[in-house]
Amino acid sequence: MSSQRHHAGDQANGALLHARDLHKHYHMGDEDLHVLRGVDLELTRGQWLAILGASGSGKSTLLHLLGGLDRPDDGTVHYDGRDIFRLRGGKLDRYRSAHVGFVFQFYHLLPELTALENVLIGAMVGCSILDWPTLRRARRARAKDLLAQLGLTERLRHRPNKLSGGERQRVAIARALINEPDVLLADEPTGNLDADTGKQILDVFRKLHGAGQTIVMVTHDTAIAAAADRTLRLQAGRLHHA
Amino acid sequence: MYKLLLILKYLRRKLAPLFAVLAVALCTAMVIIVSSVMGGFLQQFRDAAHRVTGDVVIEQPVTGLPYYQEIIDRVLELPEAAAATAVIESYGLAAVPSGRTMPVQIMGIDPAGFNAVTPYYDTLHWTSQDFLDHIDALIRRDPPLPAELLSQVDAARDGYASHDIRQYAMTFELPPQWREAHDALPVCVPGIALFNQRTQQGKYELLYSPIVGPRWRELTLSVLPISTQGTLGAYEPARAKFVIVNEFKSGLYDIDNHRVYVPFDVLQKMLKLDSYPRVDPRTGESTGEMAPARTHQIMVQAADGVDVAALKQKIYAVVDQVSAEHPDMPLLWVQTWIDRYAGMLGAVENEKVLVTFLFAVVSIVAFTMIAVIFYMIVLDKTHDIGVLRSLGASRAGIASIFLGYGLAIGIVGSLLGLLAASQIVWNINEIQDLLAQSIGFRMWDPQFYVFDKIPSDLDGLEVTWIVLVAIVSSVLGSLIPAFIAARLNPVEALRYE
Repeated sequence: MSSQRHHAGDQANGALLHARDLHKHYHMGDEDLHVLRGVDLELTRGQWLAILGASGSGKSTLLHLLGGLDRPDDGTVHYDGRDIFRLRGGKLDRYRSAHVGFVFQFYHLLPELTALENVLIGAMVGCSILDWPTLRRARRARAKDLLAQLGLTERLRHRPNKLSGGERQRVAIARALINEPDVLLADEPTGNLDADTGKQILDVFRKLHGAGQTIVMVTHDTAIAAAADRTLRLQAGRLHHA
Repeated sequence: MYKLLLILKYLRRKLAPLFAVLAVALCTAMVIIVSSVMGGFLQQFRDAAHRVTGDVVIEQPVTGLPYYQEIIDRVLELPEAAAATAVIESYGLAAVPSGRTMPVQIMGIDPAGFNAVTPYYDTLHWTSQDFLDHIDALIRRDPPLPAELLSQVDAARDGYASHDIRQYAMTFELPPQWREAHDALPVCVPGIALFNQRTQQGKYELLYSPIVGPRWRELTLSVLPISTQGTLGAYEPARAKFVIVNEFKSGLYDIDNHRVYVPFDVLQKMLKLDSYPRVDPRTGESTGEMAPARTHQIMVQAADGVDVAALKQKIYAVVDQVSAEHPDMPLLWVQTWIDRYAGMLGAVENEKVLVTFLFAVVSIVAFTMIAVIFYMIVLDKTHDIGVLRSLGASRAGIASIFLGYGLAIGIVGSLLGLLAASQIVWNINEIQDLLAQSIGFRMWDPQFYVFDKIPSDLDGLEVTWIVLVAIVSSVLGSLIPAFIAARLNPVEALRYE
């Protein structure tokens, strides 16, 4: 009942993602770390939301919950009106594949794959071996196009160990965008880069946002967060206006 | 689709898949080689047993089997029988001019008949060419032979060049060039290992050189005739001199080391198995009747496509019929060659199963190693698993990457193992010779073993099973690591260092 009520409310508000009363505990031996203590969040389509917080404040955890990569101990996350943690039969995997794109601080590219393959793998995951031959050409063209837009035309066949940090992060962004996700979830996307490269990545996000991409970015850097059009601070397990 | 891509990419990694493939290949090769060599042993035993026995044997081993010609005639009327021949099997002593005497099995045969039920002609070892090569070697010898011997050797050449020396073992006649020297003695064909010793290469030397003199070709056989009551002492031991016209090689060392073929009628007389006038035991006077001649065995060859067990049943009926007509017929045994050698073949078969099983158990160690290697790969790929989960890969999808990886390792490894094993099995004797030449190591010394070559028999069905089991085992080896990979928490996987 409660889920359906939120669903109706979300649609009325135009909310794409709606987190309500999220709680998450981590157990470190006998110690109980209550990282998220009732987080409420609404994200509308086209919004760029920055979540500021100190290291260990639970920013990444919140991002993982929004992306369906982890489960909360309590609370709900609704996407397009549906509670993602009630999705069954591989639907949560499909949610991550089709509607969400993750960008990580440490890029997390697959070392055996080239830049192009690292982008394509995102498309392959959501596609069966039977469908791939018909989709392959279009997906490949999109991957190349994304990498070209990110200035990596000359790096298509390079493996991650042959790329700079900034290039790796741009490949990771291309991978996150390959399935045209509704939400881009970026976890400290500039955290592992020098200032100049960080700015370049931020420019990429600006362009994406300009093109209508919904973005949730977590960072500990207020200067980076300032690029977003809405900033919240995660403190003591709760979100506050920054 | 991503699973296939990753399996192919992971296969191209450096050491881990190489070790896993190597482990599967070695295990597969090991089991195939063991199974093939043991299978070869078994097959060689079977062939050798079959080669020296014929398909079915009717037997009365000690006192002999009368009316044998009547039985042979009736057996040959059966459409299931292609040939039949009487054989006498006895034991005695063989003495050679060097003074060496040894116990032997003496077989009285009619060579043509015996050749119809066994590949007797094919077992005759020496050909005319062997004698000619031997003569050539003597002529080329350095230092050369004395002129007198040389001319003697050269003179012998024509006799061998103009006739197939093996024909004399088929007709049991003396070669013309030997007749004068041996004064019409009967001939014999001993097993190749009786007087000859195998070289390390498993070959034999031609001892009947034209320069050693005729008496070295002679063999004296002594036998003890047994009465119709199965007792010794009724007759004096019999002794006769024979001329060796060839040697046979069945391939079964036990036979080649103990058996001598002699003419059937000569041995029959020596053993008092030939026809004789009956004597009334009360008066001690002749009854005017002739007791039938006897043999010990009748060997029967089945017609093409006839099951030996079916032939055995038909022969039983014939034996019963003839026995009914002759009240003095002793109890006869009818056995197929498989029945006759069941003990020996069963033992080798058991040994094959046991050794193959033991090596299969040893292989479990290697497959545990595969599981460990896969587990290490999973640990190494923990980040990848987290990334793939973040991209929407399901737990089943992650598991199937590692199961598919196991399958690919299994297929590649087992096929490589099959390739290696087939090359080793097909060239095992050449490999052994190479090892012997290069490092002096000979794993199979033909001087001492039952067969003069390492036997091997690559059985297609068996190999298919071994390869399939290797592939399945490889997949099973990857099962636990795949399960662990699927169970990984994606967030923890992403944080894994």
